[in-house]
Amino acid sequence: MHGCHGRYLRIDLSAGTAEHVAIDSAISRALLGGVGLGTWLLAREAPVGVSPLAPEAPLVFAFSPLVGTGITTSAKFAVVAKSPLTGLVCDALASSHFAIAGKRMGVDAIVVVGACAEPSEWVGGRLRRTTWWGRSAEETGQGLAGEGSVAAIGIAGEHLVRYATISADGRHAGRGGLGAVMGAKQLKALVVAGDRETPVADPEALARRAADLRARAAGPATAKYRELGTVGNLLAFDRLGALPTRNFQASHFEGAARLAPERWSGERTHRRATCAHCTIGCEQRYASTRDRDRPIRIEYESQFALGPLCGVDDPDAVIEASAACDVLGLDTISTGGTLAFAMECGERGELEGGPRFGEDLLPWLDAIARRRDLGDRLAEGSRRLAQEIGGDALARAPQVKGLEMPGYEPRSLQTMALGLAVGTRGADHNRSGAYEADFSDQVDRLRGDARSVAAAVASEDRAALLDSLVLCKFVRGVFDDLEDETAAILREVVGGSFDADEVRAIARRVVDLRKALNMREGWQPTDDGLPARFTDEPLASGPAKGVRLPGERLAEMIRSYNRARDWEDDGRVPTERLAALERELGLRLQAG
Amino acid sequence: MGRPKAWLPWFGKTMIEHVVDTLRPVVDEVIVVTSESLDLPSLDATIVRDTEPERGPLAGLRDGLLAATTARVFATSTDAPWLRAAFVEELFSREGACAPVADGHVQVLSAVYPAVGAALAADLLDVGRSRPLDLLEALDYQAIDAASLASVEAGASAPWDGFNTPGAYLDAVRAVDPAARCEVELLGRAALRADVPVVALPVGSLGDVLAALAAGADLVEGERVARRHLVSLGGRDLVRDLALPIGPGERISVLDAQAGG
Repeated sequence: MHGCHGRYLRIDLSAGTAEHVAIDSAISRALLGGVGLGTWLLAREAPVGVSPLAPEAPLVFAFSPLVGTGITTSAKFAVVAKSPLTGLVCDALASSHFAIAGKRMGVDAIVVVGACAEPSEWVGGRLRRTTWWGRSAEETGQGLAGEGSVAAIGIAGEHLVRYATISADGRHAGRGGLGAVMGAKQLKALVVAGDRETPVADPEALARRAADLRARAAGPATAKYRELGTVGNLLAFDRLGALPTRNFQASHFEGAARLAPERWSGERTHRRATCAHCTIGCEQRYASTRDRDRPIRIEYESQFALGPLCGVDDPDAVIEASAACDVLGLDTISTGGTLAFAMECGERGELEGGPRFGEDLLPWLDAIARRRDLGDRLAEGSRRLAQEIGGDALARAPQVKGLEMPGYEPRSLQTMALGLAVGTRGADHNRSGAYEADFSDQVDRLRGDARSVAAAVASEDRAALLDSLVLCKFVRGVFDDLEDETAAILREVVGGSFDADEVRAIARRVVDLRKALNMREGWQPTDDGLPARFTDEPLASGPAKGVRLPGERLAEMIRSYNRARDWEDDGRVPTERLAALERELGLRLQAG
Repeated sequence: MGRPKAWLPWFGKTMIEHVVDTLRPVVDEVIVVTSESLDLPSLDATIVRDTEPERGPLAGLRDGLLAATTARVFATSTDAPWLRAAFVEELFSREGACAPVADGHVQVLSAVYPAVGAALAADLLDVGRSRPLDLLEALDYQAIDAASLASVEAGASAPWDGFNTPGAYLDAVRAVDPAARCEVELLGRAALRADVPVVALPVGSLGDVLAALAAGADLVEGERVARRHLVSLGGRDLVRDLALPIGPGERISVLDAQAGG
C-alpha cells in the first residue's frame, strides 16, 4: 500500500531491543494513521487492564500516510497510551519534524514497551544512559538535535506528574499525562532519523492538490488563526458568558479585557511562527514586558487556564506561567484546572496552605513539576485531589473522567457540554469541536437539544478523521467538503478507490474502536457526564446569568448521542459490533 | 420580529421585565405564560409553560387562568411598552370581565378575566374556538369605550399598543427617546481594524447599526453579517440577520466566526 511502510518499530526498553513488526495493509486502510492506527497498536500491545505507568504499558508514536507528503499541516504525529489521569485511552497530537523523521525510519509507528533500568535516551537505534535527566525538553532537544529529531519529556515527566507532556520542536503532545508514561519508563528522549521515502500512488496529482491546499490554507479560511490566533477567543467567550472563571464559579471575568491581545495594541513584542510543513502560520508569540526579547507561544487554552480560571488578570503573569509550563513539561489546561480547583478548596477551608485565586503561579508550577510539598498532591490532578479531600469536592473538580476541562463553559455552550461529557479521552476540545455549533446561529447554545446531538456526533467524526490522517484542525475550514476532498487525497497518496462514504466509515470505526478499548479498560456508563456543579448550579452572573443545564437535559442528550452512534442507550458498544471490530481488526476488545 | 419580544431591550430592562415590573405594584401575583422552549430572565413572577401552543392564544390564556390564585386576572401581551399601573387599576375597578374597545377593536390582551373562566376556555377550545374574544363573549364581558378611561390619554400611545415588526418596535423606542443609542463592541479581528473597541450609535436595525461603523462595509455581505463574523446580542443570541432591531442601551458584539480552538 502506498503512503505506508507496512510495519512498526517495537522497542522493548527492558530488554534493550528493537524489532520491526508487520502491519497488514487492511489495517492501514481501515484506520489510516495517527489516532486510528495508534489506538489499534495500543489495543494490540497493552495487556488488558495494565496500569498506565507500569513497564508493560505501551507508549505509541503513530505517523500517517500523509506524513512526508506536501499536504499542508500533515507533519503531525499522535502519541497514544493509557492516561495516568483517566486510566483510559489517551491520544495527543503534536506538529513537528519528528513525524517526518520518524516515518523516514521506514516505519508507520514506534511502540515503546518496558522500562529502562536507569534514565536513558533512545538514539540511533540503541539505548544509552542520558545526561539530560533533570533538564527541560527544549534543552534536551537542542542537545540531541545533531542526532535526529527529538521527542523528550521535561522535569514534570521525570517526576510522573499525571499531566506531564511530551515535547518535540517546542510543540507538545499535551493532554492526558503521556509524559508521565514516558517518565515511568525512564526514557528521557526518543531520537529518530532516517532517509526512507514513502512512495505515493499519484505523485503528479498529489503535487497539484498539495499546491492548491497550501494556497487555500494561506487564504481567508484561516485568516483568524493567522491574524490573531486562538487567543482571540478570550474576550469573545467572556462576552458570551462562556469564559470559565475561578474554577468555573463564573463565566465572565472582570479582567478579560486586560488579557485580550486585540487590546494590547503594540505594547508588547509580538512574533508569528508556523509549525513544520504548514502554511497557516497560527502560532502567536507574545513577550512579557519583563522579558521583551523572549516571545512565548500563547494559545487560548493556556491563557484561559492560567488566567481567568485561576483569577489571574496580569498578562505578564499569564505569559510567564505559560512559558514555565512549556519548560517544565506541564499541560497548561490540567495545570490551571488543578490549581483553580485547589484555590476554591482553599477558599472553602478544605485545603490548607494551597494556592489562592489571583496569586503568582510560578512557584506552584515548579512545586508541581518536582512534586515538592503540596505540589506532590497537585501533581495527581483535580480528580484525585478531590477524592482525597472527600465530601462533595468531586462535584467541583473541573474534570471529566479525570481529564481537566478546557476553556468552554458547558452551561452556556450546551452542545459542547455533550461533547465534553461523552469524550473518550475525557473533557476534551480537540476530539470534539462541538463548540463550533454553539458559536453559530444553528443551535440554541443555552438550551441543548436534538440539533446539539447531531452536531456533536458530526464534530467527533470529523475530528477522528482529521486526527487519523493526521491534519491540523485549523485546516478544516479550507475544505469545501472534508470527506470528499480527503478521499481524493487518500486516492492520490494511498491509491485504490477511497470515496467519501469510506472516509466516513473510517471515522466511525475509529470512534467505535476508541470506545471499545475504553470499555475493555474499565469505562463505565457513569463515567459519561459532567461534575455535579454544572447540572446543579445555574450561572450566577454575566451575560448568561441564570442559564441552567439541568441534569435531565444532559442525560437525554447523552442517550440521544449513544443512539445516534448505534450504541446501547447507556453508551456501551453493542456486543455484535465489538465482535465485528475484533474480526475486522484482529484485536481482543472484550474483557474476560 | 426575528427576536423574542420578551428579550427586546426597553430602557434598561427587557420588555418582559418592563411589563412584570409595571404590574407588580398593583397585583397580588404575576403569571407569565410562555412557550416550552423560551428561556426568560429572572422575574418576580410565576412561570407557566404553554402546554398547547398549537391551539392558539386562548389555550395560553386558559393555562394562565388555571394558575391564578386570585378571583380576577388582568391579561396583557409581552409587547406592552405603554402599559401603566393606573390603567390596570382602573380596569380592576370595574366588575366582572371587561375589556377596552378602541376604534371598534376589543383589546382582548389588555382585559380582565375571572379566573373561573379557565373552565369555559377549555370548553371553547374543545369545540374549536380559539380566540380570547370568544371567551370574553361567553363571559358576557363589559365593553369599555377607551375614550371613557381616565388612565388612557387621548392622542397618546395606548396601554394595549404593541408592535409586530422591527420598525414598529424602533418607532416606539424613538417615541420615548429620539436619541436612543446602543453600543457596538468589536472583538477579535474586527477590533484589530478599529480605532476604538466600543462605539455608541443610534438604535436601528442591525444593518443600520453596522453601516454606521467606520469598518461596517467589511462586516456585511448582502442581507447578512459577513461569513467571517457573527454578532452577539447582549451576550446571548448569535445572529446574522441584518433586519433584526437593536434596542436602547443594548450592547452587541461583533465576533470572529469559527470562534473556538
